[in-house]
Amino acid sequence: MHDHGECNCKDHGQTNPLVPTMVKVLKIVEETPDVKTFYVAGENGIPFKVMPGQLAMVSQLPIGEGMFSVSWQADDHLQFAIKRVGLLTEALHDIEVGQTLGVRGPYGNGFPVEACKGKDMLFIGGGIGLAPLRSFIKYCFKYRQDYGKIKIIYGARSYDDLCFKQELFEEWPQVPDCEVFVTIDNPEEKWNGHVGFVPAYLEEINPSPQGTIAVTCGPPIMIKFVLQSLEKMGYSDEQVITTLEMRMKCGIGKCGRCNIGSEFICLDGPVFDLTQLKKLPPEW
Amino acid sequence: MKVLPSDKIREALNILSGEAEVYVPQMRDDVSGYFIWADNPQVELALDILNTYMSPKNVVLPQTENMYSFSAVGQDANVVEVANPQGQRVIFGIKGCDLKALEALDLAFLTKGYEDEFYKARRQNLAIIARACYTPGPACFCESMGVDRLNPEADVVIHDLGNQSFAWEPKTPKGEELTSKLQGVLVEQDVKLPQAAELKRKIDITGLSEKLAGMFEHPVWDELSSRCMNCGTCTYVCPSCYCFDIQVNTRGEAGNRFRCWDSCMYREYTLMAGGHNPREYKKERFRNRFLHKLQFFNERYGVNLCIGCGRCVILCPNGVNILEVIDKLKEVQVDA
Repeated sequence: MHDHGECNCKDHGQTNPLVPTMVKVLKIVEETPDVKTFYVAGENGIPFKVMPGQLAMVSQLPIGEGMFSVSWQADDHLQFAIKRVGLLTEALHDIEVGQTLGVRGPYGNGFPVEACKGKDMLFIGGGIGLAPLRSFIKYCFKYRQDYGKIKIIYGARSYDDLCFKQELFEEWPQVPDCEVFVTIDNPEEKWNGHVGFVPAYLEEINPSPQGTIAVTCGPPIMIKFVLQSLEKMGYSDEQVITTLEMRMKCGIGKCGRCNIGSEFICLDGPVFDLTQLKKLPPEW
Repeated sequence: MKVLPSDKIREALNILSGEAEVYVPQMRDDVSGYFIWADNPQVELALDILNTYMSPKNVVLPQTENMYSFSAVGQDANVVEVANPQGQRVIFGIKGCDLKALEALDLAFLTKGYEDEFYKARRQNLAIIARACYTPGPACFCESMGVDRLNPEADVVIHDLGNQSFAWEPKTPKGEELTSKLQGVLVEQDVKLPQAAELKRKIDITGLSEKLAGMFEHPVWDELSSRCMNCGTCTYVCPSCYCFDIQVNTRGEAGNRFRCWDSCMYREYTLMAGGHNPREYKKERFRNRFLHKLQFFNERYGVNLCIGCGRCVILCPNGVNILEVIDKLKEVQVDA
């Protein structure tokens, strides 16, 4: 660590993993009534390199900091899709473009983007759970020739609660060899698409496990049922990947709370395939 | 052998304090623990206490520790100053059990991917004067947890000679350095080391970690946890419990982010915004604590996270006793 006598401490994100680097909010997109996507960058672009599925700690300095998956790592900025659920996210939803935030990271293992090359990809998301999947989905689009056919199955409680609507309904269906299936929990007048829960819709679509990797994220209860459905459909444990959420404070495997058994979600996760997950206690 | 006579201890601590923060066992407001030495005639050293109520983990992991200060004015925000707790430190009188706990903390904070800079700053120039333990207490079971209480691995080991005089045995170059600083107070003397009393409590934990790997869903956890009130006392007095929280203190346009001890006994520890909690009930929290001590830490770092100091056994207000917990865990059948 360098001498603190004269520095302005802007670059400490690199030397002390618990100290944030400052970024500015460039753009805010209202995805749903309680989800906003924040586009952030530092003076010199992205504060650090992130791979799909990795996490970063975002802080509104006077309020607190929280761990979020990076929902897209663009070349010159990072995107965080954040649902308003607590004290910090409430404060984040109140900020405007131009606000300075702290970020530190990246944390965690991320999705196995290399191992999935050449495979057909099946993404299954629920609610805000599409945020981490989106980092991988867009990565597959960016390196489209490296991946096979892509199917995206996504559901939310209602039409309004669907995140990334423009991408979901306009952009992604235009990508070659990409199919998007969307469902909501209950019928609505303004919705003429599929109605029902994600696991049931998944079984109805019944995508073949042949040469496919399934990646799922959503509320824990949805993940549990999706895993059962995939097993029923003939997916082996190695073909199924999920990303987990736990409360985190440090991000570097020290503060203790994000363990499942002897694994720390911030460090060894958040991404696990089902083979790994089945070795862990069912405590998530 | 060199001896630190009882009437020279204050002088020795004053000398060491000239260049370092010296932590000594003391009584403060009816609570014993390791505090920074200042030669105040009102405050006695607590050398007769077997195990201080609070462990010495605060030397490397203070109960509350500033991490950095920041300013937040309008839309602007910036980190102003990152805390740098580097400096010379000495710990005087630590027992072998607490020293073994410190080794476990080193594994947690300095290995497996990241070094914790704040911990490292406090730890790297820490000189250790350990006190051999000849008279263990009724709840002590350190030897069962692999502690060498008579020969702890320290820079200097001191041995009680009665009358609060100590035989002084330097064991490392750092220990020799401390010795040369104290050459004016240490005297050369023939000594007879005391007879070590036997430990009353013994427990065999061979194979326990492996057995526990198959016991996560065992019904015994309901029975074992029934008495626990989730008060967290065990976690605060434990020398090897190290979980921490990170919180913020904001006043107007400035503030600081700090960390403080946390406890896995509390519901909020794993409670997520939105309400989901993977360890919602006390059985789950109780189980996680004991498995962390006896299985999880072992799987990750190769050692147990209990060192047999007995503090939790003595201080639990509802009589949860880790020795009885271990006995029960060993006794129950596991379905294949």
